[in-house]
Amino acid sequence: MADAVRTHGLFKRFGPQVAVGGVDLVVPKGSFAGLVGPNGAGKTTTLSMVTGLLRPDGGRIEIDGRDVWADPVAVKANIGVLPEGLRLFERLSGRELLMYGGQLRGIPLDEVVRRADELLRVMDLVEAQDKLVVDYSTGMRKKIGLAAALLHNPRVLFLDEPFEGVDPVSANTLTEVLRRYTASGSTVVFSSHVMDLVERLCDWVSVMNGGLVVAQGPIDEVRRGRSLNEAFLDLVGVRGNGEDGLSWLGAPA
Amino acid sequence: MTWLFVRLKLSLLRGGLRGDAGRQVGFAFSVAAAFLAAVAGFGLLSLIRLAPYGVAVDLVSAAFAMFAAGWIVVPLMAFGLDETLDPARLALFPLTTRQLATGMLAASAAGPWPLASLAALCGGVVALAHGVGGVLLGVPAVILQFAFCLTASRLVTTALSGALRSRRGRDLLAVAAIFGVLLVQVPNLLLNRGLSGDPTRILAAAGEVLRWTPPGLAAHAIADGGLIGVAELIVVAMSVVVVAWLWIAALRYALVRPDSSNRGGASVRRSPTGRFLPGGLLGAVVAKELKYARREPRARVNWISAVFVSAVFMFSLRGPAGAAGTWAAVGPVCLAAVVIGLQAANSFGIDGRSLWMNAVAFSTPRDLRTDLAGRHLAMAVVAVPLLALASLAAALAAGNAAWALVAAPTAWGVLGVAVGIGSITSVTVPYTYPERLNAFAGAAPGQGGQAFAASFVTMLVTGVLVLPIVLPVLLGSGWWAVLAVPYGLAAAWAGRRVAAKIGSARFPELLAAVSRPT
Repeated sequence: MADAVRTHGLFKRFGPQVAVGGVDLVVPKGSFAGLVGPNGAGKTTTLSMVTGLLRPDGGRIEIDGRDVWADPVAVKANIGVLPEGLRLFERLSGRELLMYGGQLRGIPLDEVVRRADELLRVMDLVEAQDKLVVDYSTGMRKKIGLAAALLHNPRVLFLDEPFEGVDPVSANTLTEVLRRYTASGSTVVFSSHVMDLVERLCDWVSVMNGGLVVAQGPIDEVRRGRSLNEAFLDLVGVRGNGEDGLSWLGAPA
Repeated sequence: MTWLFVRLKLSLLRGGLRGDAGRQVGFAFSVAAAFLAAVAGFGLLSLIRLAPYGVAVDLVSAAFAMFAAGWIVVPLMAFGLDETLDPARLALFPLTTRQLATGMLAASAAGPWPLASLAALCGGVVALAHGVGGVLLGVPAVILQFAFCLTASRLVTTALSGALRSRRGRDLLAVAAIFGVLLVQVPNLLLNRGLSGDPTRILAAAGEVLRWTPPGLAAHAIADGGLIGVAELIVVAMSVVVVAWLWIAALRYALVRPDSSNRGGASVRRSPTGRFLPGGLLGAVVAKELKYARREPRARVNWISAVFVSAVFMFSLRGPAGAAGTWAAVGPVCLAAVVIGLQAANSFGIDGRSLWMNAVAFSTPRDLRTDLAGRHLAMAVVAVPLLALASLAAALAAGNAAWALVAAPTAWGVLGVAVGIGSITSVTVPYTYPERLNAFAGAAPGQGGQAFAASFVTMLVTGVLVLPIVLPVLLGSGWWAVLAVPYGLAAAWAGRRVAAKIGSARFPELLAAVSRPT
């Protein structure tokens, strides 16, 4: 059985700066995978390339065994994406956004309506469904974005920082929906800074640092008895332990 | 402390340029333009010296007043372009209001455009100063006038910054600003139509009004060069102080007031028009485009200005009554069609960063072709009746309503050609529309060249390609217009086909080009 996601030597540079320097990302089918790493580790760049939004400078990407850039027709129908930065069609209402997304994917209109109604109910957005997305709060935007990404029932879902700036109530809704989704055999890949959350949700984790994957595997193998946070800090190399310098900090003025 | 603000502004300018050749060229261009404007402004103001004394004083007063007005209006439209403008960003630093005020004032004086306007204002001294006294008073007068411009502009931006930070405030101002610009054109139109009276009388009346405003007083002081001039300058200085004081008060208020932006927002009606649209991708794109034309301020501004420019053509190209032929009806309407069609020269610009939704769904050139077709169809839904109406108006104005039957199809054909070419420039030289209020800047920083190229090429190529249909009509063969619509449709279809092939292969690059930070 092919892995849900597999990249070989994925490479991208912006000018002189290498953002992603040969990433071999593996995510087995049906897993709830976390992609963690410090800022600037290349998580967003990797996810953009995997989802076909950014052209890689080198390397290969396979989703369900098909090459993303050589065979976009087969791949794009089977993936859902929630990119970073909450970029949505701001001047559509939440409901209109779902209708647009569904029709864009060629789903028949009455089916789009049915799925959109259900998604809006599950995401607790029924009251706000006719408000413009530009007036949504961060949590509402993440939820409507996830709804739009799920509407065409993709096999693999890519989420870039889905929990950033989301209140606990909305976060709970998001995790419930994602749990149900993976329970049915679909795959979720999401990037995050929040180790507790990754530890709680994921069964697979890939750790990135400096444009490379420095560790990946089932979460218990990566942790090796430590908390994920400790394991992560060891893997990326803690920069200074805060003991040197700063002697003035907290000293009486 | 003041010097620190100036350095902050300069390093912001420098930081904005780092590592991007396009931006550097843009900045060089901006500096060159500022320099030219400074030289031209200085020269033109200096030339006023040749005018009779009374006229010269009124002219300089008017020019000074226009500078002040420009300083107040332009930063409003460009709000958000200049990081040092927004006092909220500095709220956490332990600065007294006075430090903040002098610092921000100095920072706003640094930069090519402020220096250019200072240089241009100096022309006023050349124009009006007679004798040593005039020159001696002229220098402080110009500096005070400059300070007045700066403080007045700061006062207005600070007072409105709360409103400008909220979405509704910005939406409103973006659309309101265009009416401001349009109003400026009204006297122009009236002049064109010969309705106005003697221009010198208008000038004198304007001078009368401006005489007691700070810019007018400054101009007068230079002309006077004596004790009265000194008194006038004191008044100007006092008004600068008053405005600065008001500004400081507004600043203090803005710093402690909670940021009231972005709460609430009303619901939109579920549109019933969806029923009339075809299903699937095409219908979805048409529905979205039509909603955007209504709800997105940048789209509204584009439409309003297209309509307005067309109206200007209508008025100004009108020949003397009776002497006109078919061309008098066809010409302006065709120009209007080009202007409306130019909006399609960067079809994906308004979608901007949200275009990824299309990018993850589209996998074949066919998808992109349908998308473009949807955009064109949505534009046609608005433009076709609009052009028909314009044809009728132009034909009536030209003296024969029947000419509308020639003008309308020709204009529709021209529109088809324009959107066809536009779809190719949309995928070859796409650029980002700034998201902020600044409705009149064409593109994100550094992409001005692309924006210019896109509309210029579209206009030029359209101009050439429409010759086969427009020329015979203009020369009098009205029946030729029956060919215009099929020709336009074919051109639009061919344009979409080529564009889809190019665009589909470089969709990630297209996406990056329209989602640049602004």
